[in-house]
Amino acid sequence: MASARTTAGQVSGAAGPLLPGADDSALELGSVRAGRVRRPPVLPSWVLKVVMAVSGIVFALYVLVHMIGNLKVFTGVDHFNEYAHWLRTVLQPFLPYEGLLWIVRAVLLGCLVAHVGAAAVLWSRGRKSRGAHRHKGLGLRNFTARTMLVTGIVLLGFVVFHVLDLTTGTAGAASASFRPATVDQAHAYENLVASFQRPVAAAFYLVAMIALFLHLAHGLWTVVSDLGATGRRLRAVGYAVAGAVALAVMLGNIIIPISVLSGLLS
Amino acid sequence: MRLVIEVWRQDTPADSGRYETHTVDDATPEMSVLELLDRLNDQLVEEGLEPVAFESDCREGICGACGVTVDGSPHGPQRNTPSCHQRLAGYADGQRIRLEPLRSAAFPVIRDLVVDRSALDRIITAGGHVAIAAGTAPDADSLLVPHERAERALDMAACIGCGACVAACPNGAAHLFVGSKLTHLSLLPTGRQQRGKRARAMLFEMEQDFGPCSLYGECSRVCPANIPLTAIAAVNKEGLRSFFRHKDD
Ligand code: HEM
Ligand code: SF4
Ligand code: FES
Repeated sequence: MASARTTAGQVSGAAGPLLPGADDSALELGSVRAGRVRRPPVLPSWVLKVVMAVSGIVFALYVLVHMIGNLKVFTGVDHFNEYAHWLRTVLQPFLPYEGLLWIVRAVLLGCLVAHVGAAAVLWSRGRKSRGAHRHKGLGLRNFTARTMLVTGIVLLGFVVFHVLDLTTGTAGAASASFRPATVDQAHAYENLVASFQRPVAAAFYLVAMIALFLHLAHGLWTVVSDLGATGRRLRAVGYAVAGAVALAVMLGNIIIPISVLSGLLS
Repeated sequence: MRLVIEVWRQDTPADSGRYETHTVDDATPEMSVLELLDRLNDQLVEEGLEPVAFESDCREGICGACGVTVDGSPHGPQRNTPSCHQRLAGYADGQRIRLEPLRSAAFPVIRDLVVDRSALDRIITAGGHVAIAAGTAPDADSLLVPHERAERALDMAACIGCGACVAACPNGAAHLFVGSKLTHLSLLPTGRQQRGKRARAMLFEMEQDFGPCSLYGECSRVCPANIPLTAIAAVNKEGLRSFFRHKDD
């Protein structure tokens, strides 16, 4: 049998090696194409899913810790700014100023490249293997699974905006009154309040947190399978933890813009 | 009961295919989807037309030969039921019913509703079997298998290889099929001796035709053998295990 690559989905004479007279004799043989959808990939999909799972866990832990840190905003201006300052000076003199922050940023950036890269490859492989006839009419039952790419892209957009708004203070994204942190002092509280006093920024933040909830709820549940958990109890615990972490991160973060807009924080 | 059937017609694998509409006037609620096709084919033959090609064998849910997509659902609208057992009770007089082949790029259409599922056979050939010299039959009770383990292995061995899980998956993944085989064979004494080698071989083969798993969960809804979603996790579990262990077993 000849073997050559074929274009997935369209089984045409030009695309694949069909057995001669593939109609009737193939009905008996049950085989019309020896070619595969793709050549053996260097990075198999299951490995890429492990990459997504590991980078996803890093993100999840980061957003969880970040959310807890954010809640310090309710402890007052000075306390919150001291916390922001502490993040920059922690472990000095073993680390330089902002040392820890830069380590975290490097790790997160590495994970982001791996996560988004793997997502793109997996998405295209899924489409190829499915072929021309897509599965339609799934209803709401796997809404979170189907929207992973969409919520992921919203998150990517949000991350870019968020860094420009509250880290670099780039004009256009940041509020007019943005003041960067100095070696002696951070102005995180004032920057945050000024940012959320703009309804559009608060609304985008809200949308991003809902996207994060959907993405994490399904994503962390996927992690359980991707890391090979087959035990019944382990899977049940994983399912519960996924939902709980996703919900906690969303609610913990959402209170902040709501508090700013309602005047609780100013 | 009168049913309007939209059925996929495709003469050769190279053909682009199209839907044809026919009416069957005497369908009954207790008829299976395959019996509806039988009825339609009788009619077509009487009219001197070419009957619709579809596969079936046992018609009692054990062989895995049947499998058509009914109204977008592989096997049919009832959960975990093979096409040969899908009854028409849910259809009302005058309703439309759409029949098409199991859809996946890995399953090229041979003709009408018959698809080529040899991509699944290739995975079995690669490692879905026990290939060791097991010697003569051992004495009873010399190889102990705990009851619970035997039950789990049997549950996973229930897969009939129909391919509906692949057709249900928006990514065209075969994780439920591969995971059920990997789990079943990894639980029993002879199969275990090739556990790592098998995982590598089956995953290598799987990757060339099938997509990644995004945990839509559609597969275990349609699986006539009730393979649970846990089987999916076994794919990565066995993959990771064989990767880090680097041994045949
Ligand atoms: C805060 C940011 C993010 C977090 C916490 C996060 C978390 C996760 C987690 C935990 C998973 C499951 C991993 C697995 O498959 O086992 C996942 C999957 C996924 N992520 Fe993200 N992610 C983030 C950003 C992004 C971005 C920016 C994209 C960009 C496109 C993205 C796209 C995806 C996609 C498409 C999947 C599904 C992969 C699949 O199931 O086939 N994510 N994410
Ligand atoms: S796992 Fe279920 S749906 Fe998939 S091939 Fe086996 S029996 Fe069919
Ligand atoms: S014909 Fe054998 S399972 Fe349906």
